[in-house]
Amino acid sequence: MKEGFRQAMAWLHTWTGLLFGWLLFAIFLTGTLSYFKDEITHWSQPEVQRHQLDPAASLGLAKRYLQSNAATAGSWFIRLPSDREPALSVSWRDPNATGRRGFISHELDARSGERVEVRDSRGGDFFYRFHFQLQMPHPWGRWLATFCALIMLLGLVTGIITHKKIFKEFFTFRPGKGQRSWLDGHNAIGVLVLPFHLMISYSSLLLFMYMVMPASIMAAYKGDSDSYFSELFGRDDAPKAAGVAAPLTDLPALYAKVQTIVPGARIGYLQIANPGDSNAQVTVTQAAADHVAYQRSANWTFDGVSGALLSQGEPESAAMMTSFTIAGLHMGNFAGPWLRWLYFVFGVAGTAVIGTGLVMWLGKRQLKHAKSGRLPFELRLVEVLNIASMSGLLLGVAGFFWANRLLPVGMQGRADWEINVFFLAWALSPLHALLRPGRKAWGEQLALGALAFAGLPLLNALVTGHGLDQSIARGDWAMAGFDLTALGTGLFLAWAAGKMLRTPNVQAKRAPRAAKAASTTAEVN
Amino acid sequence: MLSVALITFAGLVALCLAMEKHFGELLKRKPKPGQLPALRWAGWALLVLSLILAVNIRGLAFGLVEWFALVMAGLTLWVFGLPYQPRLLLGLALVSMLLGPVLAALGV
Repeated sequence: MKEGFRQAMAWLHTWTGLLFGWLLFAIFLTGTLSYFKDEITHWSQPEVQRHQLDPAASLGLAKRYLQSNAATAGSWFIRLPSDREPALSVSWRDPNATGRRGFISHELDARSGERVEVRDSRGGDFFYRFHFQLQMPHPWGRWLATFCALIMLLGLVTGIITHKKIFKEFFTFRPGKGQRSWLDGHNAIGVLVLPFHLMISYSSLLLFMYMVMPASIMAAYKGDSDSYFSELFGRDDAPKAAGVAAPLTDLPALYAKVQTIVPGARIGYLQIANPGDSNAQVTVTQAAADHVAYQRSANWTFDGVSGALLSQGEPESAAMMTSFTIAGLHMGNFAGPWLRWLYFVFGVAGTAVIGTGLVMWLGKRQLKHAKSGRLPFELRLVEVLNIASMSGLLLGVAGFFWANRLLPVGMQGRADWEINVFFLAWALSPLHALLRPGRKAWGEQLALGALAFAGLPLLNALVTGHGLDQSIARGDWAMAGFDLTALGTGLFLAWAAGKMLRTPNVQAKRAPRAAKAASTTAEVN
Repeated sequence: MLSVALITFAGLVALCLAMEKHFGELLKRKPKPGQLPALRWAGWALLVLSLILAVNIRGLAFGLVEWFALVMAGLTLWVFGLPYQPRLLLGLALVSMLLGPVLAALGV
């Protein structure tokens, strides 16, 4: 009975893993990149210079810029620079435009307060959006991504049940033994980083809970889901403009006030309603980096003329705090440098669990055909899809960054073309994989990926003058870290490509190695 | 947090060595009677100690999250590094065991 159950779970693990593995790999990889969303955006818009943070001074500069460029706007929005993203960003709604259009956003230099003409690029936001919207029309991408999260959770649970020796082999990894090593690796990264994997897939379901399980919300809010969101995120109703001119209060002074309420608080952004009117109001929101939970209550609303504190965000209920904490853990906004790197490493681990699973599915079935040397159609299809979903995606990511540096800065629809290059490179990968034998296709694409990633720091140095020598000298670690990570990725891909290309005759190598693996497995057991 | 990282790592290694198979492989000898349970106790005690230390230094929310991250990172380093650099990692564990409490006392 028990073995039957385990076999059923193994079957489920194998087949859901195969069907959704390709998409999950892409979701995990782009999601992992999103942990460095701000840093990637900084790299994508190198025109913005990094300066020592000085929030009070930045606020003064932002106010000056907005007063001379958006004096008639009904509301302003200021996002302060952070350790991760150096731009001081100001935005407002063009009073003469209606609807979504007319929302204007400028990036300012945090020291001079002058506008910086940045290249048109989605930067890290592209990967972030892709990892849960999959570049599909709303809401289909979110549905599919959420369903994938459910499959991931299912894969983890069925994987644990299938894994017979979870405790006995907890510390076990035996490299250089073919399929045995792949399975060891798959199990070890799955089990050792399990808390992360579980947190990520469970929280993904929770993040889109309103979509997946709307019944309770609909019942409690009598079908009015908008009021659910305004209660959840405290969308405050700004007062109407009085039509009487009054000077806007001193923003640096408000910053100082917040510092007396919460010493050491970092400020994320400010919303200013009716600037220059006697009914002006300023809401200061603490940076998400200050809390583990993704909470919205850490904000203070001031009178925009006198500067008096009007209200403070209501603390969340315990239930809300729980779900905000889970959401906050997923996004990792609070993570400082070393924890952010660990988040990235664990994200790579999650991606690797999926990747090794896909490779093993095929590897096991390939063995039967090792003698004839010809794969049946369905296995060949899986092989091509494996290559396209893994090395192809990496080529797409590299393509995006190359496009970012090579497309002319003044080009129309530039940001869209970066994305087009991403998808073009990705789409070429299965074509190449169809034309070449499996191992060659892997090796060649990984080698191209190695060149593309390792070449990024060089390209960056050549075309922007923000190369490693410059960025390290300036202490711009977001820029330098990107280049170094690209270099590291390139070296890793070169190593992998070398492994693939060094043994050109798969059939001759595979069979004895498989036999050896089988005998060593027998010894170990 | 470096002290927490080191003590956590030492705890994980003690738990690994508490398994007969790994003890023999890594230390090239048979465990004396009572040694394995002692290692198991020491391992868990170090993990609990490092968790308390983490919460003490960083508060409940940050402490818990960072402790979990350090456990996962330590395990990944140990398990995937062991086949390639067993002596280096054992040395690191020993250094962690000695340096961790010192750093904790200094409040790092």
